[in-house]
Amino acid sequence: MNRIPTTRLIVKREVAERLQSRFVWAMTALTTVFVVAIIVVPALVRAPAKPTVVGLVGPSAQALGPALRSTAAAARVDIRVLDIADSQAATSAVKDGSVGIALTVDARSAVAEVKQTLSATMRALLQATLDEAHQRQVLTSAGVSPSLVLQAQTPVPLATAARHPPPADQAARSIAAVAAGILLYLSLALYATAVANGVAQEKTSRTAEVLLAAVRPTQLLNGKVLGIGACGLGQLAIAVGAGLIANAAVQRAEIPSIIWVLLPAILLWFVLGFALYAFACAAAGAMVARQEEVQFVTLPISMPLVVGYVLMFPAIASPDAWWVRVLSFVPPFAPVFMPARLALGHMGAWEMPLAVVIMAASVYGTARLAARIYAGALVRGGARLSWRAALRLRGAE
Amino acid sequence: MSGLVHRFGERVAVDHLDLEVKAGEIVGLVGRNGAGKTTTMRAVMGILRPLGGQISWHGRPLASADRLRCGYMPEERGLYPQMRVLDQVAYFGELHGLDRAAAKDSAHGWLDRLELAGREQDKVVALSHGNQQRVQLAVALVHGPELLVLDEPFAGLDPTAVDTLSEILRAEAARSTAVWFSSHQLDLVERLCHRIVILEEGRVLTSGTLEELRARLPQRLRVKVDGPTAWAVDVPGVRVLSEDAEGVLLELDAGADPQAALRAAQAAGPVEHFGFESGGLADVYRQLVSS
Repeated sequence: MNRIPTTRLIVKREVAERLQSRFVWAMTALTTVFVVAIIVVPALVRAPAKPTVVGLVGPSAQALGPALRSTAAAARVDIRVLDIADSQAATSAVKDGSVGIALTVDARSAVAEVKQTLSATMRALLQATLDEAHQRQVLTSAGVSPSLVLQAQTPVPLATAARHPPPADQAARSIAAVAAGILLYLSLALYATAVANGVAQEKTSRTAEVLLAAVRPTQLLNGKVLGIGACGLGQLAIAVGAGLIANAAVQRAEIPSIIWVLLPAILLWFVLGFALYAFACAAAGAMVARQEEVQFVTLPISMPLVVGYVLMFPAIASPDAWWVRVLSFVPPFAPVFMPARLALGHMGAWEMPLAVVIMAASVYGTARLAARIYAGALVRGGARLSWRAALRLRGAE
Repeated sequence: MSGLVHRFGERVAVDHLDLEVKAGEIVGLVGRNGAGKTTTMRAVMGILRPLGGQISWHGRPLASADRLRCGYMPEERGLYPQMRVLDQVAYFGELHGLDRAAAKDSAHGWLDRLELAGREQDKVVALSHGNQQRVQLAVALVHGPELLVLDEPFAGLDPTAVDTLSEILRAEAARSTAVWFSSHQLDLVERLCHRIVILEEGRVLTSGTLEELRARLPQRLRVKVDGPTAWAVDVPGVRVLSEDAEGVLLELDAGADPQAALRAAQAAGPVEHFGFESGGLADVYRQLVSS
């Protein structure tokens, strides 16, 4: 039998075993709920802003209506203005919430009646309108022509010239970066450990010995990594697909423009990151004498993943820091850092391809080394092997 | 295989070992613990790479594809505990080159024959130790191998299972399968094997049929005389091994004349019993190993 059908058989068995596992389905459900929640919850919490209703109480306040509307339009504040006959009706309207602010104006002062607090934006808006009306009244009384008053009160336009403007959807990109990092960390940790456990199970149950009488160690190793990796990729694809559907359902406006690049990048970095960690974990799993030793032998492998995950949060806060740029090219950290940096948009066009090349080379080297350790350690009895001892072993044919 | 060599560190496990198993032959591999039986079998199955020597298959170097025509049952049994019995046996059939349908058919057939009908959908972990061993045997047989390599296949089996396995091995040999197994149960080896290979410190101490092995040992005579017992001491080339109610047990050196012993016995008194004693494999093994 040639190598590909044999590897395919091993892949099929690995996939079938995982599809029968309640734990795998539970984790798929949890991951999917996590992604959907990240999209749906903020959309539900942040309901579309309603215009602030400003009630103008009495003729003096109602005279300010046109000025208030134009000032609000200039300041891009969404308001609705309505006239209220008297203060009693105004208090009642504020209490029942039909009016947000009831403005009463007399010759010397003005009162903004609100239920709890007056926002800084609305305070500034009302104050500017009152000041403008007051100035106009004083100047007109002093004989200044209304057209001159109008000219004097026309604001001087102030333009912004930002040299490094953040993307318009910065907040959404930050959420996407965190979500991508968490998703990749969880998936890599879960499925790379599954490889170590699967290898250790075959070794400690002696199934490996029966298998190696029919298949080569590399076929067994590749089949296991591919099978478990396919399950991980499937789980990730379900979670990402559910996220897209949820996004369409809540019609969230803040969908970052980068999302269509980020999604394939998440899958690509899962594949690369999984391959790196899975081959290393397979070698570690082959070194154990007992299943319970898996966690111990995989500790040096999972540590960089955990450290990368912890550093991801300060990295997202300062994506241009030198250490973030450096670590995003270091293979154990790249699967978490690169998609996060991509989501934030702080990345040169050359950086992703270079990181992918470095990562692919690392995967190749790790796979070669892991295959050597795996072939020797898998059928070696006795106590747990050290990395050095495992490297010296002669493997199965 | 010829000149097979393997070491674990400084310890020599297999030392220039030569061994042949022919189609239709049942060969028993015996030897004390650590004699190199398991290492030799694992080397043949490609589980470890020997440091030297050659393993041949039909006169040419054994290729990994040839191993698909071998059935292997390791000393320490190995099955996926959570996999269903039928799926597991069929899976190994497929790994050995059967298509899915043929693997399932063959798995059903072997499970029936090994009295596991009705347990096909059980997980392996739910079976008793003996039944797990039967599944392991089905795994070795499912693809109709040309060579069966079984490391201690009878260990832990109840008498009924021993009979079933013995019958299967004979039947496999009858359809030209080469059967090669190791065992410490020498009565079974004696009963089943066409040829016996005794390993000692990684080398073939001797091999052949039981008769051939016996012929390599000094002859033994059991003589019972109704009279004094010291008559044998002066017979040339004869040593007294033991003496009890059944008479004296004598060992004859090569070239010693049994008739001289008979004459000396007759001179001592009426001879009640005089005969060559041919022990079973256990006796033969002990004598060969101790010599």
